[in-house]
Amino acid sequence: MIAESDCVDLAPGVSLANAHLADVVRGSSWPLNNSGVFILERVGLRLDVVVRELAEAFDLPLDVARFDVLQFIWTLNALALVNVIQSGSRLRRGADWLGLAARLAPAGALPTPITRRRPLDTGSALRGAASSLRASISRVIAIAAASTLALLPLAAIAGGSGRSWCAAVALGVATGMGVGLHEAGHAASLRGVPSVLVLRGRRTFVLHAHLDPVRRSLVAVAGPAVAAALGFGLVGLGAAGAEPSVVILGLPLAAHALSLTVIGGDGRAACGI
Amino acid sequence: MRNLRAFVLGAIAVGVLAYAGAAALAVGAQAAGRSLVIGFGPLVVVSVERETAAAVTTFGPGLIGLAILGGCLNVAAALLVRRRAGGRGDRVE
Repeated sequence: MIAESDCVDLAPGVSLANAHLADVVRGSSWPLNNSGVFILERVGLRLDVVVRELAEAFDLPLDVARFDVLQFIWTLNALALVNVIQSGSRLRRGADWLGLAARLAPAGALPTPITRRRPLDTGSALRGAASSLRASISRVIAIAAASTLALLPLAAIAGGSGRSWCAAVALGVATGMGVGLHEAGHAASLRGVPSVLVLRGRRTFVLHAHLDPVRRSLVAVAGPAVAAALGFGLVGLGAAGAEPSVVILGLPLAAHALSLTVIGGDGRAACGI
Repeated sequence: MRNLRAFVLGAIAVGVLAYAGAAALAVGAQAAGRSLVIGFGPLVVVSVERETAAAVTTFGPGLIGLAILGGCLNVAAALLVRRRAGGRGDRVE
C-alpha cells in the first residue's frame, strides 16, 4: 500500500538525468514526460505535497493529480525503480492493510505488496555475501520468527518436552537462515556484476545485469548450492554423532536442494529455461 | 548438454534430500531405540540395526537409485517446461 503521507526515493542504481530514468542494473533507460520528471525531481517530499505542487503547476484538479502521482509511483515501485519510505506506525499501517484486504476480499484479491530494492556490493565474493546478508537480515529474522511461531504448537502436541521445543526453534531459525544464505550465495557469485536485492511480498530475489548463459547458470546454482551444502554437512555431522538437534538444524537448509530442480526458478535458470 | 545439466542437478537435489530425510529417520530411530529398514526391494536406502550396546546405521545403494531417478525426472520436467515457457534472463531467486 502506498499512502499520500509516504515519501519515495530513487532505488539504488537508479538515476534521473536529461528527462530519462536510468537503471544501471538492467542497463536500460526510459524517457519521461514533463509530469514524470516533475514528480521524480521531488523525491524525498511527502506525496501529498507532490500532489499539490503537480496540481498547481499543471493546473489539474487535485483528484486527478493524486491519481496520476500514486499510479506513477505505484508502477515505478512495481518495477523496483523507486523505494517507498513509509510513514506512521506499523500498527496503523497493519490496520490500513487489513481494511484494504477486507474491501478486496469479495474480488478474491489481496493488496499488492510494496517492492523494496536494496543495494548489493559485488566488488568481491565476500562483500557480495555480506551485503546480501545485511540487506536481507530483516527478512531472515521475520521468516525465522514466523516459522518458529508456526512450529511451537506442533512442539506442544509432540509432548512439550525440552527437546521438542528446541527442535521447533532450530527448524525455525534454520528456515530463516536458509533464505539469507541462499541469496548470499547468489550475491557472492555475482562478483563485478551490478546487482540489487529485491524484496516483494513474500518473495526475495537478486536482480542482476545481463550475463552470458554459462555465468547465469553458475549464479543460479550458487544460491541453493550454498544453503544445501551447509545443510548436507550439518545433517551428516548430526547423523555421525547421533545428535538429532544438529540433523534438525540441517534439514531446512538441505531442502534448498529442491531449488536446483526445474520446480524452482533457479533450477530453470540453471538448465537454460 | 542442457539435458545432462538437468540430470546432474536433479540427481544432486534428490540425492541430498533423500540423504537428509534418511539421516533424520535414522537418528530418530536411534534416539527411540528402534531398528529401521527403508528400501525398495533389494535396494536399501537406510537401515538401523540394534546391537548389544550400540546401533549401526547403514546408508545403502537405494540412495543412489533415488538420485538417478531424481535426475531422470528432472530431465523429463525440463523438457516439458522448455516446450512451454521462456526464461527471464535477469533474475535468480
